Amino acid sequence: MTDLDPALTVLLVSSAAAFTAALGVLPQGLTGRMPRPLLGWGNALAAGLMLGVAYSLMAVAETGQIWQVAAGAALGLGFVRLAHIGAGTEGLDLNRLDEVGPAYGYQVVLVHTLHGAYEGVAIGIAMLVSLPFGISMAAALAIHNIPEAMVLNAILASRGVRPRHAAGLVVATNVNQVLVAVVIFTVAGALPALFPWALGFAAGALVYLLLAELLPESYEQSGHTSIALVALLAMGMVVALGGAR
Amino acid sequence: MSAVTLVFLYALATALATGLGALPFLFVRNVSERVVGISNAVAAGLMMGASFGLVAEGGRHGGLETLGGVFLGVVFILATQRFLGQYDEEELVFGAARGESARRMMLMLIVMTVHSFSEGVAVGVSFGGGMTLATLITVAIAVHNIPEGVAITAVMRPRGVSVARCAGWSVFSSLPQPLMAVPAFLFVEAFRPGLPWGLGFAAGAMLFMVLEELLPEAFHETRRAEVATLATVTLIAMLVFQRLLG
Repeated sequence: MTDLDPALTVLLVSSAAAFTAALGVLPQGLTGRMPRPLLGWGNALAAGLMLGVAYSLMAVAETGQIWQVAAGAALGLGFVRLAHIGAGTEGLDLNRLDEVGPAYGYQVVLVHTLHGAYEGVAIGIAMLVSLPFGISMAAALAIHNIPEAMVLNAILASRGVRPRHAAGLVVATNVNQVLVAVVIFTVAGALPALFPWALGFAAGALVYLLLAELLPESYEQSGHTSIALVALLAMGMVVALGGAR
Repeated sequence: MSAVTLVFLYALATALATGLGALPFLFVRNVSERVVGISNAVAAGLMMGASFGLVAEGGRHGGLETLGGVFLGVVFILATQRFLGQYDEEELVFGAARGESARRMMLMLIVMTVHSFSEGVAVGVSFGGGMTLATLITVAIAVHNIPEGVAITAVMRPRGVSVARCAGWSVFSSLPQPLMAVPAFLFVEAFRPGLPWGLGFAAGAMLFMVLEELLPEAFHETRRAEVATLATVTLIAMLVFQRLLG
């Protein structure tokens, strides 16, 4: 792997993370239904993994660049909010299985697509820190993509989308993750001044996303204690993984 | 003045600083549902930021031990909740509040007080490294305690506790710092191996409290975009703050 061109490595690693999303279609494809608590734990798992990635990114930030990182985080937070406002998806519940209106369908897919882009920034930046760190973070986001796809698939299934089409669609919403990862890796690699900004951007966007999109619904789908346990366990795994770099 | 007295006084000063965190709430007049939600979001961000700092610090002393401590912290909260859950709604009284409100305030105080034990050990152990940096560390810890007072007041003030009492409870929650700093300073070698466990414990207890109690309530009281924005901003601010002090 070390002989590979670095940009090509990022392409492969982020592609693997994007394709993992297809696995999220399996639970419902096999059992035919999706119990609400399971969706809640899926959301909590996705949130905890994201929190772990945000923690790991902030932990590798240089103290001397902390102001750029903070400014980047503010930009990330602002960007996600603006994107939501622009798309009319602010406060959108991403788990309304009974909602079959046409607007809801494209909004949910759009939110998931934007979501993938921020994860791409995280992967690109993490690969710049070091190869093992980048792979750890990409692995965390790959696992995160599975429950995320599981929730999206539940909505698609309730709208009559066939499993294999749903599998294609959940992967498609993550394709921009690959593009953004490669672009960020290349550009921030060429312009080191950009690195702390992009790092902060990823951390700020990820924390905002998990708080605004993943956790609120999980609390309605399952008990608070189980949600907190699943999220903390997921976060702990990523922190352990990132610390072992 | 002996070194021990000095360590105690320094640590006591840091505990008093926690009370300053109640002051911003002098300017909040109406305590509506939205204020409860906002306060919870702020407390959640501050406590997440503090936990991130504790985990990073613990990781420098031992990564696995820190994670072990996080696990124990979660178990401790679950046990405390079970203990508080034994009482009926009417039996559980805290100030003017009863039932669920009283339970949450007690839990918050227990979590923040217990987490101060670990911080006290951290202060004592770092003093053990030499008294030259002592003043700097004291100022750093004292300033770092202020947002913790904000977090405590943010949970207690909307439930009808006066600002003065919030300040008092904030100081109380930090009293374990001077109490633990002295033995940790005197017996650095004995305390050092326990430090990552303690730091992890404090982080685990706080993170679990945030995820299980503060965030769900915040989402219940106010819009999710508002909660997410406030918690993210305070989390990042806390991380910057800790870096500048460290």
